[in-house]
Amino acid sequence: MITQILTSRTDEPASAQLATLAERSASGALSTEAGIVYLAAGHVVHVESAHAPALGDLLTHSGALAPDGWWEAIDRAGRRCRVGRQLVDSGHLAAGALELCHLGALFDAAYFVLAHDGPALRFRPGVAHWLGAVRSVPVDTVLRESRRRRELLHRIWPEPAVDRAPLARIEDAGSADLPARRSRILAQVDGVRTAAQIATTLACRTFHTLVELRRLAAAGMVAPADPVAPAAGPADSVAPAAPSAPAASVVPGAPPAPGAPVMSPAPAAGSPVPVPVFPDEPETALLRRLLHALEAL
Amino acid sequence: MPGIDESLLEAMRLPGARGAAVVDWISGLALGAVGEAPGGDPEATAAETAELARLATESGVLAPADAGLGKEPPVQDLILTNTDSYHLLRFVTTTFDSTVFLHLWLDRTDGNLALARIRLAEMADRLVLG
Repeated sequence: MITQILTSRTDEPASAQLATLAERSASGALSTEAGIVYLAAGHVVHVESAHAPALGDLLTHSGALAPDGWWEAIDRAGRRCRVGRQLVDSGHLAAGALELCHLGALFDAAYFVLAHDGPALRFRPGVAHWLGAVRSVPVDTVLRESRRRRELLHRIWPEPAVDRAPLARIEDAGSADLPARRSRILAQVDGVRTAAQIATTLACRTFHTLVELRRLAAAGMVAPADPVAPAAGPADSVAPAAPSAPAASVVPGAPPAPGAPVMSPAPAAGSPVPVPVFPDEPETALLRRLLHALEAL
Repeated sequence: MPGIDESLLEAMRLPGARGAAVVDWISGLALGAVGEAPGGDPEATAAETAELARLATESGVLAPADAGLGKEPPVQDLILTNTDSYHLLRFVTTTFDSTVFLHLWLDRTDGNLALARIRLAEMADRLVLG
């Protein structure tokens, strides 16, 4: 491999690195502890994070696309990095549907990559994502939007422990007259799962789940399950290193690379009843973190 | 098969169209925007129209209680008229998790609200169904 490592580990935050890479019109993959940002000609083309459901999961677990159609597209076009184009050309997905879902996943993952804005670990020039070009976004827009989302959550309920801790319902709090979306999310709060796991179960974006969960927290209906445990303590813990992170970062079935499918548990999307945590979830999370770490080497 | 940009450009061909955008009503993000924006700032316009859309979809009075899995937005359109223009918001139904609407800003003298509403609904369907 002739990949030249442009940047080794520095203390420069990922947002500053991204701005510099955008100025240089760089193409490649920038890894942080929370995920990977893919750039093409200085624009963000895709973002992946263990804290946000992957595009494939959002599409297949919701029933928008049959899993066979997804894997077929990866088989046929993964090596050429044209999976997105293949999905549309083969008639599996409308162009607009792919763009909407892709942008939803991109900004969702970007929020978590930039939420704590840790140092960028590595930039690998020339590395492209197998999805290929769907709709690229200027780096500026991604940075601005991630900042805006952080402020939006803070305005709703300024307690970030809700974002990562296992969540429990508060007894005696009524649940009548909640908007449909919020009550669907409340029904998944079981004292065990975190926001990211609830999002994965419902095939929803994690940020959009967080908005509802913070509103529920503000209404006194949901709270971190065990606020005294140090692992679930307030936001000063650096995200992925927290002991609770492996369970929080589960995205079952996300393909790490074309041709290397991870066995995924049965999709739970659409199930109105709370489902137990999949027994193999910690391993999946561990594997994804390992993958990110290896790619960052 | 239209993508976001093609759909917005199609909306701009309606008589009296001043500006059009695709907006996520939970985050307030414009996923695409063409033409003018009221006040000249498409991002501020998206954030403010998103707030209006969210209030409508979460209203126990204006939005009917949701049945089933709730993939269908509880509101179809929002129409706002003022002295010189119309604002038309059309919620997009998707099978996957997306919370977006099309926003069309129409000039009051040249625009035809009834026609625009029908066309915008068709565009919203074509955007996700092809």
